[in-house]
Amino acid sequence: MTNRERAMNILHYKEADRMPAVHFGYWNELLWEWVEQGKIPREIAEGWYDGSEAERELDKLIGWDFNWYRTVGSDNGLRPGFEYKVLEVLSDGTRRVQNGDGLIERIKPGATSIPSEDDYLLKDREAFETLYKPRMQFVPERVNPEYYRYFNETRPTDIPVGLHLGSVLGNIRNMTSVVGMSYLLYDEDEELFADIVDTYAEMQYKCAEAILETGAKFDFAHYWEDICFKNGPLIAPDIFEELCAKHYKKRNDLCRRYGIDVISLDCDGVTDKLLPIWFENGVNTMFPIEVGVWGDQFEPARNRYGKGMLGVGGMDKTALREDKAAVDREIERMRRLSALGGFIPCPDHRLMPGTKFELVQYYAESIKKIKY
Amino acid sequence: MSILIEISENLQKGKAKIVKELVQKAVDDGIPAETILNEGLLAGMNVIGEKFKNNEVYVPEVLVAARAMNMGAQILKPLLAAEGVQSTGKVCIGTVQGDLHDIGKNLVKMMMEGKGLEVIDLGTDVSPETYVQTAIEQNCQVICCSALLTTTMGVMADVVKAAEAAGIRDRVKIMIGGAPVTQDYCDKIGADVYTSDAASAADAAVRLCSN
Repeated sequence: MTNRERAMNILHYKEADRMPAVHFGYWNELLWEWVEQGKIPREIAEGWYDGSEAERELDKLIGWDFNWYRTVGSDNGLRPGFEYKVLEVLSDGTRRVQNGDGLIERIKPGATSIPSEDDYLLKDREAFETLYKPRMQFVPERVNPEYYRYFNETRPTDIPVGLHLGSVLGNIRNMTSVVGMSYLLYDEDEELFADIVDTYAEMQYKCAEAILETGAKFDFAHYWEDICFKNGPLIAPDIFEELCAKHYKKRNDLCRRYGIDVISLDCDGVTDKLLPIWFENGVNTMFPIEVGVWGDQFEPARNRYGKGMLGVGGMDKTALREDKAAVDREIERMRRLSALGGFIPCPDHRLMPGTKFELVQYYAESIKKIKY
Repeated sequence: MSILIEISENLQKGKAKIVKELVQKAVDDGIPAETILNEGLLAGMNVIGEKFKNNEVYVPEVLVAARAMNMGAQILKPLLAAEGVQSTGKVCIGTVQGDLHDIGKNLVKMMMEGKGLEVIDLGTDVSPETYVQTAIEQNCQVICCSALLTTTMGVMADVVKAAEAAGIRDRVKIMIGGAPVTQDYCDKIGADVYTSDAASAADAAVRLCSN
């Protein structure tokens, strides 16, 4: 049985010989820690990205079967993106830059986290009509049929590969910042914000449709949103539903017409208030289910929605920084969740600095012993 | 409807321009700045804070309400100074060294200002020494540290140590918060208060400043 068969069988409540050992990649800082500790060669840290050759080498060293986050998308962002420009260099070395989304960010030397949002271009109707709307149109060049035909011939057959559907709100949040989104939506021009969402979503739908029309085959489809935080959504659920639900439904119905019935969504934070909107509109797989940082859980969603709710994730990755006993506790929890069916354990996000190489090997080896 | 109630209600809806106009009108009508602040702006922010704590409103509502409050407060600031009105306490706040996330920190700042506290915003990527030095120089009663990342939250322990080394732990309280932060972590590093949301953080800061 291949890992692809194992994974897809489990998500369809069919038989599998064992659980696959699945992961969701690494923080780069961790890979360099492992290089310094002599655990992995430097070439792996230099060459790693999701789905890379370096990753396949690292999978072998650790004992992983595959990285779940193996998706293929299209040029479904702003086209062209804004020119990346350094606007200012401050006295402490901080650079104020305009990124490809038209967001002005501050990037501090030495800081490892994402840049902080400083300002944004998408402030009013004029900016939308002149700067953004032309960049949000579907043109055939966004989807090169030759690429997808080549993909069909060469894609790995032993692991699942997904179609990346983009994002309904998360990408727009990246253009406006959370602050700008809030101002537009609640005080300045609600109608404009809805136009932005509709325009962008229509383009992303057409991209997905064009890819599927090439005959490219996928095992699952996937969204990225990151629209929640520690205490819940970054937007009121009723407004989110009004703005976004129809777009999820349209894209998910398209996928199902092409036989893709596993549709996942990656959203940081506590997602329980938005989960019903996603589920009722066709997203049926929680991934990566962040237990460690956000306290997110799979079981309540399964209890609420039944077997139609699938999961990939849910393993508290922080245990991999502790000791064998902590990992054993997580494995036992994963064994219990796996018995529910339709669930594949996976560390609940990128493995972070401080993660112990031997514990990851131990976890990967142990998870394969779970019989399904 | 009283103009103060109108200010409060429009602030809750995030209508910044209307709040600004109403505050100016209230000033022109001869209402003392302190009354406009307490019964108009801060009253509105208190309602938003409570609703946020109870998950009845979300981050955007807080952001637009805070913007409305700031626009009104700008008109009142010189008048409050002339009336000799004191803030209810002084806090310095920042996101810890190595971390550039500031939405959570900004929410806490807005909520604290909505409680009438004076808040010195140190921004992001703040070193332990900067927190402590600011607290000493500005006579702050509270240092407030935010972190989003598991990799940066360790700096909070360094802030506690730096405050101890500077000999200010008897008069400066240290509050911590952020996605990966917990009460257990607060206890472990010897900080004074952990809160799980911005509105609770503002309540806690008011309590600490009044002790």
